[in-house]
Amino acid sequence: MNLEAYRIHDVPHYHSTADEIAIFEAAYASRLPVMLKGPTGCGKTRFVEHMAWRLGRPLITVAAHEDMTASDLAGRYLLTPDGTVWQDGPLTLAVRHGAICYLDEIVEARQDTTVVIHPLTDARRTLFLDKCNEIVPAHKDFQLVVSYNPGYQNAVKDLKESTKQRFVAIDFDYPAPAVETEIVMREAGASKDVASRLVAIAERSRNLRGHGLEEGASTRMLIHAGRLVGAGVPMAAAVNSSIVLPITDDREVRSALSAAVAACLP
Amino acid sequence: MNMDIMAATQPVADASKRLIGLMSARRNLVGAFHEIWDLLGLRLAPGEREAWAKAALQLVDVNAGPGCLSAYWRLSSECDPREGLDYVIEVGAIAADICRHAGARATASVLKAERDARVRLVQSEALVRWWRAMARLAREAPDCVEPLSQRTSDALASASIETFEQFVSVGLKKSGKDRAGRRAFFALEDEIARQLVQGDRNGARFADEERDLNLFLTALWGREPKLRALGSSENGPRPRRANIAGSLIRLPEHLPDVSGETARHFFRASAAHASAHLALGGPPFIVGSLRPIQVALVNIIEDARIEALAMERLPGLRSLWAPYHVAQARDGNTAEAIMARLARALFDPAYKDDNGIVAKGRHLFEAARGRLADPDISREIGGLLGNDLGQTRVQFNAKAHVVEPAYRDDGMGLWDFAEDSRAASETHEIAIDAARMERREESDAPRQNDPSGESHASGRAKPVTNDERGIVIARYPEWDRASGLERQDWATLRELAPSLGDPRRIESALAETGSLRARIGQLVRRARVGRPERLKRQADGHDLDFDAVLDAGIALRTGDLPDPRIFRSSGPGVRSMAVAILIDVSESTRDVTENGNSVLDAECMAVAALAEAMKALGDPFALMAFASNGHDDVRLTQVKTFKDAYDRDAVSRLAALKPALSTRLGAALRHAGAVLDGVASYRKLVIALTDGEPSDIDVHDPLDLVEDARRATINLRGRGIDSFGVVVGSSAGSAPAIFGRANAMPVRRIEELPQRLSELYFRLSRR
Repeated sequence: MNLEAYRIHDVPHYHSTADEIAIFEAAYASRLPVMLKGPTGCGKTRFVEHMAWRLGRPLITVAAHEDMTASDLAGRYLLTPDGTVWQDGPLTLAVRHGAICYLDEIVEARQDTTVVIHPLTDARRTLFLDKCNEIVPAHKDFQLVVSYNPGYQNAVKDLKESTKQRFVAIDFDYPAPAVETEIVMREAGASKDVASRLVAIAERSRNLRGHGLEEGASTRMLIHAGRLVGAGVPMAAAVNSSIVLPITDDREVRSALSAAVAACLP
Repeated sequence: MNMDIMAATQPVADASKRLIGLMSARRNLVGAFHEIWDLLGLRLAPGEREAWAKAALQLVDVNAGPGCLSAYWRLSSECDPREGLDYVIEVGAIAADICRHAGARATASVLKAERDARVRLVQSEALVRWWRAMARLAREAPDCVEPLSQRTSDALASASIETFEQFVSVGLKKSGKDRAGRRAFFALEDEIARQLVQGDRNGARFADEERDLNLFLTALWGREPKLRALGSSENGPRPRRANIAGSLIRLPEHLPDVSGETARHFFRASAAHASAHLALGGPPFIVGSLRPIQVALVNIIEDARIEALAMERLPGLRSLWAPYHVAQARDGNTAEAIMARLARALFDPAYKDDNGIVAKGRHLFEAARGRLADPDISREIGGLLGNDLGQTRVQFNAKAHVVEPAYRDDGMGLWDFAEDSRAASETHEIAIDAARMERREESDAPRQNDPSGESHASGRAKPVTNDERGIVIARYPEWDRASGLERQDWATLRELAPSLGDPRRIESALAETGSLRARIGQLVRRARVGRPERLKRQADGHDLDFDAVLDAGIALRTGDLPDPRIFRSSGPGVRSMAVAILIDVSESTRDVTENGNSVLDAECMAVAALAEAMKALGDPFALMAFASNGHDDVRLTQVKTFKDAYDRDAVSRLAALKPALSTRLGAALRHAGAVLDGVASYRKLVIALTDGEPSDIDVHDPLDLVEDARRATINLRGRGIDSFGVVVGSSAGSAPAIFGRANAMPVRRIEELPQRLSELYFRLSRR
């Protein structure tokens, strides 16, 4: 099976904020599974793409969701005119052919689903397909990466202790203002002035984390706002559409946040 | 219609019979009575008219006199016959109460005034509250009932019952022993009284903006502000400017002239300015030998310095503050005007002003712009300018001075007037906080069943009236350990109408425990997902149901129609759990723990935290508080029934619970069981939150009540209701004996109670 389609050819830009690249490379050298923790939109997915490109491995991404079952990961029998035929799931694909498998937002999946990764993440490095009674040993290049947003109040449910303890964790947070300004400038093509204003606005919204907002504005949101500004939308309207309105439905919080945003704009 | 014919056609019950008998003996009333009696006969069912007769008899029995009675007849005839009956009956009872305290003449006057009140208040709930307020007045200031009722239209000018209740509370509190003053107040001859009844229809209140301001300031500075309302002190003027005290920001409680967006804008501007002082300012200045005019000028420079710093970070604050800088050169050269002009000149670079002092101030401030972060420049420049302004010999009245522009704080918080700065500001803060607590307690809505309130010194010794003990809602058996049998109808349960407390007390306590909330929130989300159930033979799903596939394959090959439902899926489990929570409010819960809160406070906190979780989960639940005063007086307060929503009212009912009397656990458990019987749910739980052993004044051997409670829980279990005991204290005591070892949970440290209670709940809900 050719995983060419899963290869990343262009450099995904990633701005390193600490030693995360070194840790990931070291973990990959021993094929240790990695867990990326951090709030939404702070660059976890971009980091994995960057590392897959850096290590030259194909990247198979699975967005976990509540209805996801073990079959969605491992594979299932399909019906054909002649009977049934086995179809590998994305995880099995990565295990067989040596890709990095990235389970995005793993807490969204139910706990009975996530246990299928257990034998892959310890010394066994095998995937057991109970449906067709097959043990798939992992390819030497295979690595498992999961992302996990422990969020102050955002965990839909927690990971099982037995799942948590299998991973090397790398903690992500929103970058420092100067770095974040640079990222917004680069990704959104915004001027330094616009980008630094957006970062100041993000700081205001992050101040409200746990006081009415579950999460502050993410770097991703700032990039969206920056792009709207680039497309000619006035700053206040761009921020309203890309940050204030999406982030909360609570009228009072919205009104207070709007006032705080206005305080950041000249 | 003739009385005798009526009696023959309808069975006449006791009260009716008595009333008819009494009225036919009263020459001056009999005619009017017949009219109303016949009218009600047409409108009401016999049972309903009997209820009315009972209410009317209450009035007759307190010697209400013809004036009262005919006014009551008239009121009865004017009310909507069906919907109004409850109201009419309630009025009968309250009017009798008023009559008992204030006499027949006053009562007749109130009954007549009811017509005016109805015009103003319209809704019968508000009218009942008006009646209760009048009854409270009758109890505490009987001589004022008549004067006030004669001014009913004016007293209800605001058409808001809250304003009226506030007016009565203030009037009772304000006058103290000054009877003449009190009479004048309630006759609306007093200026304050007239202002009070006008209400604040046009103003804006700090309380309405509090949450907005909290969020706004938190967003700006990244830390939660401590905001307080600044009300007018006794006889003092209404505060017009914000004030900083230690780390507290106090904003005017009420802005009379503005509303809506304008008010919100002002509050935000004012709060942003004050919080900028706290976020960017330095330690307080020492007054030393500065003259008042210098102090005022230092304030202006410091304000400008702080604002310049804040606007460097948050440039948009300029547009928040700018609308208030309206001083102009042509305002004149009084000290006040020059100060306002200077404030504007330092704030607004485009403003032109060639007054010598203004220009000098601007020049000095610009020169110091390089070291804005240094608070000393305010002292230097302000001192210099104050000197200059002083030498121009303009009049400056420090006492009457009001800071301009209006959003700025009064500047007092920037100064250290005492020797030891830190200690002083802290004491200040504590004193303010204490004062605030007091005020809150006072401003509570009048307690419905508390006849005298604390203001009566004799209140404590008063005999318990029927009212206070509440309405009898049930009688339950109790186990007699000595004779080994159940005494039927032994415990009498009375429902006490809940009073309303300040919900913010509980809300702020909850807000302080962020981590607990987060933890409970997480448990909620985990529980909400429920246990998934495997569903077989589905029309669609994530997986083939091989048994179904085989059946379908066989059907195909035998030429039958195959069943297309060949998939397996999983669906979320269904939650079905109803919980009744019993809160022990006996006297012992008054005990104060190490952190200064009472046991009851901790109980309420824990219950509130859990209630939030249960609300989030959508589990039906009821909250009941219980205490007892002997077997014939087990008092139950419904904080929230299964039907009520858990809203702010429920929180304020929870906040109003007060410790009193003893713990008769068995009766409370039985009642919780009876309530749960009426709820349709797969699982039913009773959680009793108590601080110790069951006990009561009429039981000498505490084991009796333990044994009774044990029998109650066994009985509940037989009906499929699980009961759990959460016991606050160093040992579980008899709880294991009552609830069983597995179902008793001792909580040794009271701080852990909220968390432990919630954990218990989630543990139970998983089973």
